[in-house]
Amino acid sequence: MVIDNPIYFKKPDDNFAIQTFDITRIFGKLVAVNGINLNIKKGELFALLGPNGAGKTTIISMLCCLLKPSSGTALVMGHDINKDPYRVKATLGISPQETTLSDHLNPLENLELIGSLHNMKPKVLRERAKKLLETMGLAERAKDQVRKFSGGMKRRLNIAMALINDPPIIILDEPTLGLDPQSRRVVWKYIARLKKDKTILLTTHYLEEADFLADRIGIIDEGKLVALGTSRDLKNDMIDTHTIVIKAWNLTQKTIMEMKAKYEDVQISDGTMTITDRLADFRKIVDYLHAAGTIIRSAYIREPTLDDVFIKITGKELRE
Amino acid sequence: MRFWSLFTRNIKETCRDVMALAFLLAFPLLFMLLFGAAFGGSNSPSYAVGVVDNDQTEVSQGFINNALSEVSVLQVSTYNDTDTALEKLRLGNISSYIVIPQGFGEQVSQLWQSKQGNISLDITYDESNLAVSEQIISIINSVTRSFAGIEIPITINTNPINIESRITNMDFTAPGIIIFGLLIMIPTAGRLMLHDKETHFLHRIMTTPTHPWEFLAGYASSMVIIAIIQIIIFILLGWMFGMDIIGSIWLAFAIFLLAAVCSIGIGMVVASLSKSENQGESLSWLFSMPLAIVSGVWFSIEFLPPYLQTFANLFPYAHAVSAARAVITRGVGMEAVSGDVYFLIGWAVVVFIVGTILFRRTMRS
Repeated sequence: MVIDNPIYFKKPDDNFAIQTFDITRIFGKLVAVNGINLNIKKGELFALLGPNGAGKTTIISMLCCLLKPSSGTALVMGHDINKDPYRVKATLGISPQETTLSDHLNPLENLELIGSLHNMKPKVLRERAKKLLETMGLAERAKDQVRKFSGGMKRRLNIAMALINDPPIIILDEPTLGLDPQSRRVVWKYIARLKKDKTILLTTHYLEEADFLADRIGIIDEGKLVALGTSRDLKNDMIDTHTIVIKAWNLTQKTIMEMKAKYEDVQISDGTMTITDRLADFRKIVDYLHAAGTIIRSAYIREPTLDDVFIKITGKELRE
Repeated sequence: MRFWSLFTRNIKETCRDVMALAFLLAFPLLFMLLFGAAFGGSNSPSYAVGVVDNDQTEVSQGFINNALSEVSVLQVSTYNDTDTALEKLRLGNISSYIVIPQGFGEQVSQLWQSKQGNISLDITYDESNLAVSEQIISIINSVTRSFAGIEIPITINTNPINIESRITNMDFTAPGIIIFGLLIMIPTAGRLMLHDKETHFLHRIMTTPTHPWEFLAGYASSMVIIAIIQIIIFILLGWMFGMDIIGSIWLAFAIFLLAAVCSIGIGMVVASLSKSENQGESLSWLFSMPLAIVSGVWFSIEFLPPYLQTFANLFPYAHAVSAARAVITRGVGMEAVSGDVYFLIGWAVVVFIVGTILFRRTMRS
């Protein structure tokens, strides 16, 4: 569903953990974030999707009070980012895009540093740090300097540092960037376990990550929020075509020409025909090909992906 | 042509990094300007000299007013007795004092008539300031001969005072070396903050509800510990090489520590202004090297032209060198160096306030 900044979004509401009100940030001539209105419910995992340079990290920097909005504002757990930055910061746990650790400290010391900056009591902090290290599978390396850690271990510690102060809101900026698929799955599982207890704002350009984890997705492009909804809603609302993929042994030129004449988009590659059309009917197509003497190896309807949604909205690939 | 591609890329990189370019061009420029200003042209040093006239004749008054006072490099002050002059020397207000003995006028008059005879003057100088003392004796010798109109050498009874103990060259040079060591803490003081900036770790800790002054205090205090250790090492090594601290070691330590705190403060300001380690390091050296040149750590500030002395006195290090030398070599107490000490304290407070304001801006741009 395409968002058009509805006016009813602009009222402070206790049900929301994060609300932005026409938030805008301009760098010179570049409008990095352009009047975004966003409401993230308490306990929701909200994914902000967009290509590099879309404005995701700028929004996060503003929510974390590291960057002042050029105009507009945001409420984080009811605290205004422009008026009350220290209270805003006290409600947040942040895992930045870069793996930002103190390399010569061990993981326990890293966690204790962040916890102490949040004014946590030493005893509570020590216990929570140990528990987090166990949860993240880092307990055995608790005394090793983190510079000796693998990329995956550092990423997990990066996330643990966002959780050490037990904040109501966790911001995960590209939490799995640069991880191998196996490590990424481990992180996803952990994030999934945090859902409901915490409000999570996740930015990613891995579509499958947003699809797997998010309750709702906001798609941002060139500083503007261009779509908002659940993954299913976005796919259903935005994709009104069907894609049917057929692998066949003996596709003849005549059959291909006939299919191209009937449907909007027909692609042929290595004996595979991909038909995309608003009126494409799976059964009709299979019956037609049978009748034409085509031997079908496999045929299926391809579900629309968020990538399709993104291309449909912006006209470009997410990773561009 | 991979070489050419790399060459053009590096030229573009350098030229497009305004700070790096400014450093590359400004550093040699500033160095040459400072050295040129210090040692080039018609600039000449200025020495404060006291005179005690025990003769009180027209000739002796003429010697003071028409000979000594006419020498541009001398700033002549007259005192009624040697005790006052000695106290001024102890406090560092003058570099030396001349005692015109009774009978000076008579001796000079005889010389003018017969061209024969002898003149004697007593010069008491601060032995710790060796280079300056030699210059002054030489100047007074020439002036007196010129005044008397004689070719024979006059007798100058030099009295290098060992105010409370024997002063060595090390006593004089060590405070300057120590202050130089503390001055070059400027580049190192901000390095950790800049490293954290570059690795984005600073951003992470800025997302906690920590106030700017807490950040600065956190970074600075760790450096203060290092500074204390450095000062202890400096003093111990100085002592091993023959430096005697005639005055209070605690006062000398406090002066060194205040100089170090000022360096750390400047380092923090530089780190707040810079975006990367390279940029910060360049900016730090741009601050510290010219300050080292003009602050009297390597040679006496009196060799500098007055406007450079004024410039040097705007910064903490000339004050720190002067106060530390006074305590170490002349054994003066807090009453004699209080002006310098309060100046250092004021500088430290102001630089940290400026650092906090700049850091606050860094925290939320």
